[in-house]
Amino acid sequence: MIRVGIVGYGTIGRLHAQAWQEVPGSKLAVVADCDAASLEKAQNDWNLPAVASVDEMLEKYDVDLIDICVPTPLHESVMRRAIEGDKHVFCEKPLARSLEEGQRMVELSSGYQQKVGIGHVVRFTPAYQKMRQSIKDGEVGEPGVIRTFRGGSQFPMGYQNWFADFDQSGGVILDLLIHDLDYCRWLFGDVERVYAQSTRGRAEEQLEHAMIVLRFKNGVIGHVEGSWTNFPGQFYTRVEMAGTNGLISFDSRSTEPIRTMNAAGVRLQVGPTAVNPYALELLDMVEAIKEDREPLITPHDAYETLNVALAALESVRTGQVVKL
Amino acid sequence: MTVKIGFLSLAHMHAHSYARALQNRRDCSLVGVYDPDQKRGEAGAKGMNTTFYSDPLELLAQVDAVIICSENNRHREFTELAAEHGCHILCEKPIATTLEDGQAMIEACQKHNVKLQIAFPVRFATPVMRVKEMLDQGQIGDVLAITGTNHGQMPGGWFVDPVLAGGGAVMDHTVHVVDLIRWFLGKEFVSVYAEVDQMLWDVDIDDCGMLSMEMEGGIIVTQDPSWSRPRTNPTWGDVTLEITGTKGVIQLDAFAQNFMVYDDEKKKVSQRSFAEDMDSGLIDDFITMIKENREPSITGYDGLKALEVALAAYESARLKKPIPIN
Repeated sequence: MIRVGIVGYGTIGRLHAQAWQEVPGSKLAVVADCDAASLEKAQNDWNLPAVASVDEMLEKYDVDLIDICVPTPLHESVMRRAIEGDKHVFCEKPLARSLEEGQRMVELSSGYQQKVGIGHVVRFTPAYQKMRQSIKDGEVGEPGVIRTFRGGSQFPMGYQNWFADFDQSGGVILDLLIHDLDYCRWLFGDVERVYAQSTRGRAEEQLEHAMIVLRFKNGVIGHVEGSWTNFPGQFYTRVEMAGTNGLISFDSRSTEPIRTMNAAGVRLQVGPTAVNPYALELLDMVEAIKEDREPLITPHDAYETLNVALAALESVRTGQVVKL
Repeated sequence: MTVKIGFLSLAHMHAHSYARALQNRRDCSLVGVYDPDQKRGEAGAKGMNTTFYSDPLELLAQVDAVIICSENNRHREFTELAAEHGCHILCEKPIATTLEDGQAMIEACQKHNVKLQIAFPVRFATPVMRVKEMLDQGQIGDVLAITGTNHGQMPGGWFVDPVLAGGGAVMDHTVHVVDLIRWFLGKEFVSVYAEVDQMLWDVDIDDCGMLSMEMEGGIIVTQDPSWSRPRTNPTWGDVTLEITGTKGVIQLDAFAQNFMVYDDEKKKVSQRSFAEDMDSGLIDDFITMIKENREPSITGYDGLKALEVALAAYESARLKKPIPIN
């Protein structure tokens, strides 16, 4: 039985707490958060002990795995504490806010005896897995162009509104589009160059639309796009991949099997899938521990994706093409 | 007044839909067709139920205006010929394959005092006109970002000949979207970055690409002009624009008005449009312009500015860096 401690009980920590309930061989044992209201919520939600810091967690509770769900710039320090405590580590994406932090995290985890995995959850979503399989099976021939979209929903609300602080979150490109950058890397490998634009700073802070043009080393041209808006919108994702033999086309809005209409308005529901993708990524972590293998997404792999996202941010800043 | 019209070349298949639009009107008549490819011209003229002329001058002597549907690199010679003979001109897009040719066309029409209109029919699609109204009314505030696509199937024929077409997918499909956005916002593009390649089809010309551009006022735009619709696609392609403003978002799918047809006999799934015919809108605008003796709604300059962006995209891809546009 893997005993799990979640550090950070905000948006993603709450999703992970739910997902851990669905992972056989694991038990959520304790939650840490520096915010009193979140601590109280964790206790109420799961009837679990809750502590104010990762140090207190390590000191007082017997856990095997630390699940890092704090804001991005805090990932490194929590991971360092977890590794010093000789725990397995699962860390939410993006790996880090800067390349230097990411580099140090890769170094921390290299040669480390316990397992370290990073949460790029899109690799565990059924549609994205099946689309990748189609590409691998050569269903559309040699791929040439990929387009992805992610967003359309309202601006995310985090602890002390940290998503709105670019220095912490990195905005749409680092926090949101890193999902698709990672997926594209998983499909097509290394990126040759990046050119990106964003509306950040051109309107109010809580409205960002970003477009990244990519050229992969294998020649594929990519367009990775997404938004956080302040309009009441519905979150959706799109993928389109064109190859020498055809086209794969996915739009989450047309794959919602249930639509409800009531006094609260119209609501479309994704799924239902029997297992949630967060549970699948955590299950991979548990199995990696049991089988003594690497988790699907290693710190090094996540570092490579971080490198692409930060290159996109540099391109936005300089207006120039960034070669990798 | 009946406006008498002739076609100069039927190389571009739009000629047939323009001819239908002309023939549905009472205020104009289709006099005939000239085409340097006699076989194509004769067959086309027969399909349009009109006369084939083997001598363009004979046709030009009888008409008020011409529609030029030649290969892109011949737009200039036909425009200059028609202008010299005092005929107004509707020229298929792109205006030309070089800025020099486009400029010469504009000057020839000025010199001979004839109208030059460029055929950007998408401006006349009803949903597109509605979006223009919404933007003019300020419904989404100030525009910040636009993501466009103009996908298509690989057209083949002279469209994949670098000399005749002047470029592949990027030339073919950039100008439509660039024209729409210039018209929507009344602003010019100031820089272009592009990835351009041949990866999807067995052709000797670019068949895919991605453009990332900036406009006056810092508005950012991307455009995907790829011939990335496979043969099994239920329709030829698309024109879509997602426009993000300070007060809202507009998602336009210009040709969404259709239903699906599943045909076992032809083993084919296809989209059938029930949208109003945009080519009729373009022809209506052209004929009305001549009758009212007003300026074209889509000028040679508009055609030139759209071409400029497409050419800058090729230059950017060659140099692997963003290219400023003056």
